[in-house]
Amino acid sequence: MRDETSIIGKSLPLIDGYEKVTGRLKYAGDIPPLQRMHYAKVLRSPYAHAKVVHIDTSAAEALPGVSAVITHKDEITGKKKTCNSPWHDFSFNFRGPMISQEVCYVGDEVAVVSAIDEDVAKEAIKLIEVEYEELPAIFDMEESIKPGAPQVHPWGPNALDPSVFEWGDIEEGFKEADHIIENRITMGNQQHAPLDRNSCMAHWEGDKVSIWTSTQALFWIRDAVTEFFELSPNKVRVHSTPTGGSFGLWWGNNFMFLAVALARKAKRPVRLILTRDEVMTTVKRREKPLIDAKIGIKKDGTMVSQSYRHLMDNGAYGNKFDPYQSVADIYTTKHGRAEFIGVATNLLPAGCMRGVGDLTLAYAMEQTIDMAAEKIGMDPVEFRLKNHWQTGDICHTSQEVLFAKLLFNKTPEVELTSSGLAECISKGAEKIGWKDKWKGWGKPSSVDGHKIRGVGMGISTHISGLAFFGFNGITLKVNPDGTMVLTTGIGRMGQGGDTTQAMVAAEVMGVELEDINVVDGDTEVVGHTMVTFGSNGMHMVSRATKAAAEHAKEQLLEFAAKELEANPEDLDIKNRRIYVKGTEDVGIELKELMSKPIYEYLAAPEVIGSASKGVEFHKAGKMMMADFAEIEIDTRTAQMKVIKFVAYHDSGTVVNPAVCENQVAGGYYQSMGLCTTENLVFDDETGAILNPNFMDYKVVGPMDMPDPEIYFGEVYDEDGPFGAKGIGEGVTCAVPIAISSAVYNALGVRIDPPMTPEKILDALKSKGR
Amino acid sequence: MNSINLKINGEDCPVDVKTHWSLAYVIREKIGLTGTKTGCEMGTCGSCTILMDGKPVFSCLRMAVDAEGHEWTTIEGIEGDDELHPLQQTFIDDHGMQCGYCTPGMIIAAKALLEENPEPTESEVRKAIAGHLCRCGTYVRIVKSIMNAAEIARS
Amino acid sequence: MEYYSPTELNEAYALLSKYGDAAIPVAGNTFFMGHREELFDEVEAVVNIKKLGLSYIKIEDDTLKIGATTTLNELFNHEITSSGDYKIFAETVNELNINEVRNMATIGGEVCIAGEVDMPTTLLAYDANIIIGGSNGTRSVSMQDFHLGYLNTALETGEMVVEVQLPKPIENARGGFSKFERTAADLPIVNVAVRLALENDGTCKEARVSVGAATLAGVPKRSIAAEEILVNQKIDEALIEKAAVASNDVECINDFRASSELRALWVKCGVEDALKKAIAQG
Ligand SMILES: Cc1cc2nc3c(=O)[nH]c(=O)nc-3n(C[C@H](O)[C@H](O)[C@H](O)COP(=O)(O)OP(=O)(O)OC[C@H]3O[C@@H](n4cnc5c(N)ncnc54)[C@H](O)[C@@H]3O)c2cc1C
Repeated sequence: MRDETSIIGKSLPLIDGYEKVTGRLKYAGDIPPLQRMHYAKVLRSPYAHAKVVHIDTSAAEALPGVSAVITHKDEITGKKKTCNSPWHDFSFNFRGPMISQEVCYVGDEVAVVSAIDEDVAKEAIKLIEVEYEELPAIFDMEESIKPGAPQVHPWGPNALDPSVFEWGDIEEGFKEADHIIENRITMGNQQHAPLDRNSCMAHWEGDKVSIWTSTQALFWIRDAVTEFFELSPNKVRVHSTPTGGSFGLWWGNNFMFLAVALARKAKRPVRLILTRDEVMTTVKRREKPLIDAKIGIKKDGTMVSQSYRHLMDNGAYGNKFDPYQSVADIYTTKHGRAEFIGVATNLLPAGCMRGVGDLTLAYAMEQTIDMAAEKIGMDPVEFRLKNHWQTGDICHTSQEVLFAKLLFNKTPEVELTSSGLAECISKGAEKIGWKDKWKGWGKPSSVDGHKIRGVGMGISTHISGLAFFGFNGITLKVNPDGTMVLTTGIGRMGQGGDTTQAMVAAEVMGVELEDINVVDGDTEVVGHTMVTFGSNGMHMVSRATKAAAEHAKEQLLEFAAKELEANPEDLDIKNRRIYVKGTEDVGIELKELMSKPIYEYLAAPEVIGSASKGVEFHKAGKMMMADFAEIEIDTRTAQMKVIKFVAYHDSGTVVNPAVCENQVAGGYYQSMGLCTTENLVFDDETGAILNPNFMDYKVVGPMDMPDPEIYFGEVYDEDGPFGAKGIGEGVTCAVPIAISSAVYNALGVRIDPPMTPEKILDALKSKGR
Repeated sequence: MNSINLKINGEDCPVDVKTHWSLAYVIREKIGLTGTKTGCEMGTCGSCTILMDGKPVFSCLRMAVDAEGHEWTTIEGIEGDDELHPLQQTFIDDHGMQCGYCTPGMIIAAKALLEENPEPTESEVRKAIAGHLCRCGTYVRIVKSIMNAAEIARS
Repeated sequence: MEYYSPTELNEAYALLSKYGDAAIPVAGNTFFMGHREELFDEVEAVVNIKKLGLSYIKIEDDTLKIGATTTLNELFNHEITSSGDYKIFAETVNELNINEVRNMATIGGEVCIAGEVDMPTTLLAYDANIIIGGSNGTRSVSMQDFHLGYLNTALETGEMVVEVQLPKPIENARGGFSKFERTAADLPIVNVAVRLALENDGTCKEARVSVGAATLAGVPKRSIAAEEILVNQKIDEALIEKAAVASNDVECINDFRASSELRALWVKCGVEDALKKAIAQG
C-alpha cells in the first residue's frame, strides 16, 4: 500500500547544503586545533614483510619540539589485543597490536611521533634508526594458500576458514543440467580514493579521551577504543564529522588508535592527518577477487545449479571471509553452493568498498550466465527475465543465515520482501533500445570503419541493511516554536542520510524539512546507531526515526487533545498545525501549543519522542538493478568509450529523487573507474604501490564519460519505512557486468576489469584485427 | 620565516611563512579559512582552487611566500552580505554536491568561468572543471548547477 | 630553505651561482610544489624568477621570442601564438585541459622538466632554440640538444632558461599536435607534434615529426624515418599511413602507466592524427 506523503518523494535540498557551498562544513581536518595541540607523523615500513630487530628513537626524542614517540616497545601499542567483538577485527583490519614488531606490508606502522608542528614531526621521523630483518613476502593469493607457503603475518594461517552456504544437492543439480559452464574471473585493485584526507584528533582529560574524526562508524570506534585501552564506554567520547567521501574507507582504522595512544603519552591533544599517499596506501582497498563459477542449465534456459568459489585477497590484515561479504542471490536455483575464502598477502590490507561482495560475485555470476545463455542461443534479457529473483523467494546466501549459524547454531529461512527486477530488466531494455541494438552473442551492434559498437546488460542486488548491524536509538525533541531536533548517529558521507532521516521525521510530524535540525556524530549525545554501511540508512535506521517521531507525535496529540477538548485519536498534524480530523478548521498551531502553559502544570509542554529498534531478520529487503551499456571500441587506438548507459534501479520508494539519482550516478562513475583506469599497481618485487596519488591512480573526471540515464522502478517494499529500501552501495554493482558484456559483444572476447587499452589491444590481436 | 601580507577576500592578512609552505596550507592552518580544501597537495584534485586576481589557480601548488601583491578570493569571499552567490544557491537547489568536499573548488572554478564567459556551453563548463574530481560522481548535477547559475545571471 | 625573489637578472644569476646545485629556480611552481617532499633535502635556496620581466611574447627580427615565465594560458590567449604561423602553441596548450595548471605553469618550466609534458615536443618540431642565461652571459642551445634525459638538461650550475626562440617557419608551414592520455586530466602518455613546409603543388619540402612523453629517454625525439618518408613527396592518406608506420623508429618506454606496445600504437596513431591536422590547415 502506498502512503500519501507530502515530504517523502520530493527532491528537497540537502539540509547541510548551505554549509557545504559556503565552505563552513567542518570535516575532521577543518576542526580548529585545540590549545597545546601537537601534530603526528608516522614512520612506515619500506618492506613488505620484516622484523624490526632494533629501533632507536633517542635522536628523535631529543629533537626540540618533539613531545612523544611510540613504537612496538610501548606497552599500550605493542601488546596484542584480543577483540571481544568480531567487528573490530573485520572492519578495521586490526593488526593485533597497534604497532607490531613484525611489519607485514609496505606502509605498515613502525613508529609515530608527535611534535609542535608537522615540519618538526617529519624531521623527527627521519631521525629514528631502524634495523629490519627481511622476511619472505607473498603477493599472490594462490601462492599464499599453497601448503608450505611462508606465513604472511604472525597471527594465524594465511587462509581463514572458508564460509560455506549450501542448499539443495549441488551434485544432483549438475546431473540434471543439460549444459555446465565453468568460468574464472578476477579484477584489479580498486581504492576508495575519497578526496578528503582523514585525520584524527585525540585529547585525554584525566582518564577520559575525546576523539574527533571523520567516520561512518562512530560507535564502532568508541567500542574499539574502549577495548584496546581498557576503558568504560563512559570514558570514551567520539565526535564524528562528515567524511569527504568514504565509500567504505572511513570506518575505523589503526591510525586513529595511534593518535589516541600518542595523545596519552604526550599528555596533550594530538592530531594525525594522513597524506594523500597514506590515504591510498595504508588504510585499505577493495578486496581483489578470484572466483571460479560453475552453472548448470537446462536446454530451455532454466538454471538448475550454481556454485562459486570466491577467493579474496585480504592483504596483510584484511579479515574478510564472509560475514562482511554481501552475496548476490539474484537467481533462484534448486541447488547451490557458495564458498568464500579470505586469503592473506603481504600487500595493503583489503576491506569493504561500496557494493562489497555483490560487485565481485554478481560479476562472476553474470559473466558465467552470459556464457550459459550463449550456449543455448538465448538473449540475455530473456534469460534473466526467466530466472531472476522474485518477491518471496528464499535468500540462500544471506548474511543473516550465516550469522544465525555462527551465533545461535540455527539455520533459519530468510525471505525476500520485494523484487522489482522484472520491471527494471524489461523497461531498461526498452530505454537502451535493446531490440534494435542486440545482434546476438559476440556480435557488434554496429561497425563504422574502425569503430565497433556493442551492447551489454547485467543485473545485481545488494542488501538494504542487515539486522545484525544492531539497534538504532533515535530521539526527536520539539522546541517551543514547533521546530524539532533529531538526534541520530547516522554517518554523513554525501549520501544525504541526515537529510532523508529528517524527511522521515518531518513527514510523520506534519512539518517542513527546514523545521528539523539534525544533531549527529557524538557518542555521548546520540543513541546507538548502526554503522552507516550496507545501504541501511533508509531501510533500517528510518524505522527507529519513524517510531521516534510517532512517539513524539503521540505526546503532542495528547497535549493538543486537552487544549482542543477532543480525543487524541481524532487528531492529526499537517502544515505545522494540529487539527480535528473531519473538521479541519478546529485546531491549534504547533507553535502555539508548544509555547502556551497548560493549566494542570502551569507550564508549557515538553515533548521528546524516542525509539530504539532492532530489525527482525526473517525478511530481507534488497535493492535490485538492471544496467545496460552501449560502448564503442576504436580498433585503431584500442580505446573504449561509453556511448549510452541506462541504469534502471529498484530501491523501493524513492525518498528523495535528486539524492537517489546522485547516488546512482556516483556508483556509475566509480564503477566506470574500476572498469577503465582505476587500479592500484603493486611493484612485483617490493609490494609497494607505484601509483599512490591522483596523478597516476586515475579517477574518472568531468570530461571522461557521458552521464548515465537513470530510472527507478515503481516498487513499494511492504517491510520498509514508507516502502523504501536502500541505495548507497549497490549502485556500483551491475556497472562492470554491463560494460564487460558490451565489450564482449563488440569484440567477441571477454575482458575483466580494468578493461585497459592494453587488454583491448590483446583482444584485437587475438581476433586478427 | 618570511613575513608577508596576504590580501584575501579583500582583507589584509599579515602572516609569517616558511618557504616550502603552500598557499593552501597557510590559508587553512595559519589564517583559518578552512573552506579551501587540500585533497592531494599536488594539483590533481581541484579542491584547493582559489582565485588569483580573478583567475583560478591551485593554491596547493602556489608557494605562500610568493603570494604577496595579488588579490586572492576563497569560497568564504564570494557570498554577498545577505545572500549567497548565485552559484552557491544553484548548487544547493540543483543538488550539485554529495559529500561536499569538492564543492568549494568547483564553485570557485565556475565563478571564474562565468565571469569570462557568461554563456558557456555544456562542454565549456566541463572543460572549466576538468581538473576537478568529484569522487561521489555528481558531475551531472554540478554541470547543471553551473549552467543554471549562468542562466540566472543573464536574466 | 631560503627564499629569494630577485627583480634583476644579474641578481638571480648571482644567487644561482652562490648556491650552486642547492639552488632551484622556480616559475609556475606546479612541478616544484607537487614534488617538494622529494626535493626538500637537496634544496637550500628557492629563487623565484617570476619578477624578472620574463613574461612576454614578441616577434623581433623574424624570430618569435617567448620569455621563460610566460604561462601556458598566456600562450593560449596571445594573438601571435594563437593564430597564423604559430597557432600550434594554442593548439598544444588546448590539449591540456586543466585550466588552473595552464594559469600557473610556464614555458620555461615545461622545457626544463624534460619529461611528461607537451610543450617541448612542439618546440622540437619547430626547431626552437633555448636561450640560457648565467653570470657569464647568455648562450643558445637547440631544443634538440637541450634535453639530456628525464629531468636532465644542458643547463650548467648557475644557469637558467630565459627565453625560447623560434626561427620564422618557411612559408606555407603548417603544424599539428596530438595527444593520448588516460583521462582528460592527465599527464601525456604519448604526444606528437609535426611541422610541414609544403610547396604550392603540395610537395613536402621539409618535415619534422616529434614524439614526446613515450620515449625511452623520457624526452622528445624526432622520428627521422617518418620525416624521410614525407620529404619530397606529395602527401596523401597512403603516405601519412606509411609515415605513421615508420615512426616506430622511436623506441617507447614500458612502465605502469602504459605498455611499450600500446605506446608504440599510440605513437603511430598520434603521427597520423597530427599529420592530418597539419594537412587540414591548408
Ligand atoms: C595535474 C597536472 C597535470 C598536468 N598535465 C600536463 C600536461 O598534460 N601537459 C603539459 O605539458 N603539462 C602538464 N602539467 C604541467 C607540468 O607537469 C609541469 O608542472 C609544468 O610544466 C611545470 O611548469 P612550472 O612553470 O610550474 O615549473 P616549476 O614547478 O616552477 O619548475 C619546474 C622545474 O623546472 C625548473 N625551472 C622552471 N623554470 C626554469 C627556468 N626558466 N630556468 C631553469 N629552470 C627552470 C625548476 O627549477 C623545476 O625544477 C600538468 C601539471 C599538473 C599538476
